[in-house]
Amino acid sequence: MKNAYIWIGGIALVLASATDVLAVVGRHIGVPLRGSIELVQAFILVAGGIALIIATHAGSHARVHILADRMSPPWKARVERVAAALSALLICAFLAGGLWIAADLWGSQEVSELLHLPYRVLRIICNVCLLLVLLAWLRKVLGRERP
Amino acid sequence: MMATPGTGLIGIAILLALLVAGTPIGVALGLVGVGGLVLVLGLEPALIKAGVVAFDTLTRYELGTLPLFMLIAQLLFAADASRDLFDAAAKFVGHRRGGLALASVGGCAGFGAINGSSLATTATIGMVALPEMRRRGYSDALATGTVAAGGTLGQMIPPSGALIVFGIIAEQSIGQLFTAAIIPGITQALFYLAVIWLLVLWRPSIAPRSERAPWPERLRAIGRVSDMLLLMLFVIGAIALGWMSPSEAASVGAAGSFAIIIWRRRLTMAVLHKAFADTLRTSGMILMVVLGALVFSVFIGVTGVANLIADGVSGLGLGPVPTLILIALLLLVLGSVLDGLGLMLLTTPILLPIVEGLGMSPIWFGIFIIRAMEIGFVHPPLGLNLYVIHEVTPDVPIRKIFKGVVAFLLSDLVHLLLLILFPVIVMGLPQWLAQ
Repeated sequence: MKNAYIWIGGIALVLASATDVLAVVGRHIGVPLRGSIELVQAFILVAGGIALIIATHAGSHARVHILADRMSPPWKARVERVAAALSALLICAFLAGGLWIAADLWGSQEVSELLHLPYRVLRIICNVCLLLVLLAWLRKVLGRERP
Repeated sequence: MMATPGTGLIGIAILLALLVAGTPIGVALGLVGVGGLVLVLGLEPALIKAGVVAFDTLTRYELGTLPLFMLIAQLLFAADASRDLFDAAAKFVGHRRGGLALASVGGCAGFGAINGSSLATTATIGMVALPEMRRRGYSDALATGTVAAGGTLGQMIPPSGALIVFGIIAEQSIGQLFTAAIIPGITQALFYLAVIWLLVLWRPSIAPRSERAPWPERLRAIGRVSDMLLLMLFVIGAIALGWMSPSEAASVGAAGSFAIIIWRRRLTMAVLHKAFADTLRTSGMILMVVLGALVFSVFIGVTGVANLIADGVSGLGLGPVPTLILIALLLLVLGSVLDGLGLMLLTTPILLPIVEGLGMSPIWFGIFIIRAMEIGFVHPPLGLNLYVIHEVTPDVPIRKIFKGVVAFLLSDLVHLLLLILFPVIVMGLPQWLAQ
């Protein structure tokens, strides 16, 4: 699964890069690529969402170690579990807000300006990524993964 | 609960407690932000704001700049950029007394232009330069201090990850920030070169001379880095001259890095997988902090605590320069306990209005706060770069690394003071290019 995340996120980055390069070249040779920014936004959403999942699974979120590094291992494990629970709570808030807006705008046919990319799909991708981040944090709370 | 500055101050106190307790920085910022908004605005507006911030940030075009510049660094790292850059600099100045230390600063500046991270620059140049300097009889203090200080150039020399994050948080042009960082980055490197020169002049035994590389060897070494240097010069130049937006320049840079790594026959599935994995992991870490900081800054804005502090500071009637020196001292003290990104994201929503009230540009503030952040990377007790160096050379006691960095730290403080006294060092280039 982890490999799948890495390849999907990486390919999304490559596609974002390729789209921007084509847009720059097109602009300079007089063949502008319409809506390139909208495409890049969609690729960046996929890459960014997956980056959050990977960083959470890898336990690489930035933190201040000044106190945690001086604790005994059992206390450190407890504190890390509490931190994981707080993290899950925050992601829950982001997800709840995301779902709320998605539900409110579900029937509004919200699309991007030039390419008419359906925002509904982008919101689903965003919320699925947040859900996977939430699950990753919950695994740490339950002790199935190192926080 | 009412949205008062008092609520904001309580929020900041809770945030500091969460940070010290080891809660991830982004989570602590976000929790205080969302929790505070729930209290002052109610559950529904707070959750909707959180949802809006998450979606808007993840689909933000400028955000692509960050992972793409990281991808460039990962790809060029796989192409042996750090070794080649140090080697090229060493071939030119390595025979002079202290030459390898000068080459290390040059390598850090060059790798900083590819990388954008202080810790990564310190680690990669450290792995290449430290064994070489120690083999040639350089003192441990000079060798480790040089690389620890030189590594901070990664944060300042564009493209810089910290500048991108500041641009997103403070809603400032990333292109202008990159342009504004060029002169401070160059002057910072020159300060380090001057420190090495003075140290070696004072105690020549700490850095013996080495053999001189013949010109054909020097030219071969330059040839090995020319493609990377030209690519990064083009990327930074295109942003400074307004030919491309930072996001476009990052994309062109990533495409160029792919071309270089293919040309050098280094592109394998394993290399690509590692480059993607490292890029995504670091981007995810920074993205979490950005998400938290954006919600936190909404909370700080709603409570009006930034205005209260700004009024308090202007009420002191100190004038711009003493106030900015006071802010610099505050940042240096906070930098002793908070890591660089946390320091920037916690203080930007509070300090930016104060600095703007003093008539300074937000672009100047971005460079100023990143310069202060960099100093936090080398001053005790946190000094993350020092610990990175200690991991690279475990047999050198951390005390000796601290000792080695003191002279560079003093030059950092002088440089920071100069940025305050002469804002033109920061704003001169962007203003000149805008004309």
